[in-house]
Amino acid sequence: MLLFISSPGAFAQQLDSRDILDHVDDLFRGHSSYGTSSMKVVTSHYSREMTLEAWSKDKDYTLIRILKPLKEKDTATLKAGNNIWNYLPKVNRVIKVPSSMMGGSWMGSHFTNDDLVKESRMADDYTYEITFQGEKDGKSIIELTLLPRPDAAVVWGKVTVCVRQDDWMPLSIDYFDEQMVKKRTMSFSDIKELGGRTLPARLRMIPTDKPGEYTEFIYLDIDFNLGLENDFFSLRNLKK
Amino acid sequence: MITFKIAWRNLWRNSKRTFITMTAMVLSTIVLIVSYALMLGMMDDMQHSITDISVGQAQVHHPRYLLERSIYDMISNPQQILEKARSAGIEASPRAFGFGLLSSGSKSAGVQFWGIDPILERSTGEMAKYLLKGTYLPDHAGLSIVLGRKLARTLNADIGTELVVVVQAADGSLGNELFLVSGIMKGIGETLDRSLALIHRDDFADLFVFPDRFHEIALNSKNTLTPDEITSFISQVSGDNEVKTWHELMPGVSDMLDVWKGGMLIFLAIFFLAAGLGVLNTMLMATFERIPEIGLLKAIGTTPWRILREISAEAFLLGILSSLIGGLIGTALSVYFQHYPIDLSRFAEGFSMSGTAFSANVSATVTISGIIWPVVLMWLVSFLAALYPAIKAARLDPVRAMTHV
Repeated sequence: MLLFISSPGAFAQQLDSRDILDHVDDLFRGHSSYGTSSMKVVTSHYSREMTLEAWSKDKDYTLIRILKPLKEKDTATLKAGNNIWNYLPKVNRVIKVPSSMMGGSWMGSHFTNDDLVKESRMADDYTYEITFQGEKDGKSIIELTLLPRPDAAVVWGKVTVCVRQDDWMPLSIDYFDEQMVKKRTMSFSDIKELGGRTLPARLRMIPTDKPGEYTEFIYLDIDFNLGLENDFFSLRNLKK
Repeated sequence: MITFKIAWRNLWRNSKRTFITMTAMVLSTIVLIVSYALMLGMMDDMQHSITDISVGQAQVHHPRYLLERSIYDMISNPQQILEKARSAGIEASPRAFGFGLLSSGSKSAGVQFWGIDPILERSTGEMAKYLLKGTYLPDHAGLSIVLGRKLARTLNADIGTELVVVVQAADGSLGNELFLVSGIMKGIGETLDRSLALIHRDDFADLFVFPDRFHEIALNSKNTLTPDEITSFISQVSGDNEVKTWHELMPGVSDMLDVWKGGMLIFLAIFFLAAGLGVLNTMLMATFERIPEIGLLKAIGTTPWRILREISAEAFLLGILSSLIGGLIGTALSVYFQHYPIDLSRFAEGFSMSGTAFSANVSATVTISGIIWPVVLMWLVSFLAALYPAIKAARLDPVRAMTHV
């Protein structure tokens, strides 16, 4: 109690930062959502472009289906809780991704299967504090530095989140490993109206140790709060 | 000539003594030849099981491949290397490797796929002979798969089981296909038993979107060339790729084999020494026994030189005769063991290590030197062993020699 009284300013700042993190977390998340997006993967060995449609409900359920290219059409991924299943139309089989393959790339992108599963709220998993506030590269920004809580099941040693000062719109998130070496950057751009919200439509994941490589999502359209039920996310629907 | 005639007659004058001496020498020669051939055979077997199952005498890789095992680190000019090898009669088998998931029902396992050319693989290595059941890959692509023994058990797979294959293809897509199990391998090393999945190179190319590219070329001249000769020959066209002998590829196994060989040579030396000393002893005793007889010869006026000649001729004949008989029997036995290995599986099953299987059969390897050495050695030992007492007797005073006991 004494602590709060002695530093009321710090308390206000805590509330503020939590709101910022929740805002970033909830931006693409309604109670449920449906959207289509294009995914572009560029690596030193290949580059590929896909069109995806995706349904999600809270943070527990996601169903992603490939629309293009034709060769991979209808290939789908279902995430329910901590499990992932892939549907392979060519052989007409559903395969549960074993834990040994969770670290593997999802559809050749820079995201792993684990990235899909380990979606959670930043404000719950990390302690946070505002470490910068002001002008950077001609924009007024707020920078938050997040450190993992001791009991949180997260892989990062540190995360920094950059948002616009006036509307808390995310600009970039940097991920560091436990040795505090930067591993990847997620950058947000192309802010526009989508599904009744103002959103950055373009998300780009840049792995730090692979120069020139990235995975980019561009939201084509998105709808929120469709009232999807849990049983929509079933193996039956995965096969379509 | 008369000397040899007399020597020959002398030998059969005391046929019992001659027979005993001969038996000792013949047996020693046989033991030497057979044990030498068996030890050589064991060493050959070990080396053979390393080089001839899958490793080959030498291998070509992209310099980074063995470190990172990335599918993109492939051999830049496989066709050129294959042709160069063929021009020198070296068998060469190109292989493409990729990691992926194999699943059957609710069971799944991470495996290493080998995309191979079954015809070239069969002529380079003997993996096809190490089938536990089923058949090896057919010569043409047809979505057949051959599994390591423990992998098959993990997947609960048997011949004809349908397996779903999911891999990350080289173009980033999710390669997937159904394969039918055509064969299951015997134990050929822990890693391979757990992770080996052999498929046809064309199936591999479709699955991984990786046509006509390879990560490894195994080279095997079937011992017409040494690994080093192959390496320097292939290096002429290998460009940036790395050519390494199996010694460099498997330093642990190679060192172990060297230690083993050293140990065997020591055993062999002890055998030779023991056999040589045995014959020496027999010859010495046989000649010493004749000292009174030599004294009598001297007393009736035989010159020492003549006595020496006489006894040497006897030893010479005896040595030649017994080492030849021993050589013949020993060779025959060795040849027999070469064709019909001694089966030790009653005592211990064969074991496998680092991708190589050692069999529980001990077979002999017959070499010219492995026969000539024991024969010559036996003959030499018997001759020298007779010479010493003969010289001694020839110089003795006849009266003392005659009463010598």
